[in-house]
Amino acid sequence: MEVRLKCFAWAREVTGAEEVVLDLPEGGTVADLRAVLEARYPVFEGRMESIAVSVNQEFAGEGTAISAGDEVALIPPISGGV
Amino acid sequence: MICRITDKPIDIAELMADVRAEEAGGTCTFTGHVRDHSRGQKVTHLEYHAYPEMSEKKMRQVIEEIEERYGVTRIAIAHRIGTLQIGEIAVGIAAASAHRDAAFKACRYAIDRIKQIVPIWKKEFGEDGAEWVEACPVNAQSAQADGPK
Repeated sequence: MEVRLKCFAWAREVTGAEEVVLDLPEGGTVADLRAVLEARYPVFEGRMESIAVSVNQEFAGEGTAISAGDEVALIPPISGGV
Repeated sequence: MICRITDKPIDIAELMADVRAEEAGGTCTFTGHVRDHSRGQKVTHLEYHAYPEMSEKKMRQVIEEIEERYGVTRIAIAHRIGTLQIGEIAVGIAAASAHRDAAFKACRYAIDRIKQIVPIWKKEFGEDGAEWVEACPVNAQSAQADGPK
């Protein structure tokens, strides 16, 4: 299935895109998404530990299943406030 | 209740007016301003980026957590995005409650929690170039709305 992944901040700069489209197996999880992403963009290797993933605007654990049409995003370490 | 991501200057008086009520004896505000240095380097300006829809959702979560913890319901939060110059307000918070103690606590909790769970990023521009500030990796479990408090 096709998953559209929103990229912000550092992740947007290294992918060069606001959104990347990844092909994930049906029933794929956040962990699967990370593996697919790393294979396509080696720059994420070694960086994944600090990057959170959100599914439908909520932070998601590694076992969270992703469905077609879900709103998925990469959340690099944040720095709001001052 | 104000809870917004904005590309316009933040007016703390507007946030204070938003939380004003006859029963509220204490109003506490916090404004975070762009400072001219960071980690020993001179800063010329900042750029704030956000995941706007999720940021507003997580700011509402912060407000709900404050209500649960301190019983304070009158809270307004605004966070600026875009290019900000030195001295400008990046984040403004106002909290009002019957007595001062809860208002102080609410304000303090709001800014600390925003820095932990609201997806906003800051890029610092200095004399030696620009850099994303990676202050806080988000812990998915403790950042979830129904996660451990």
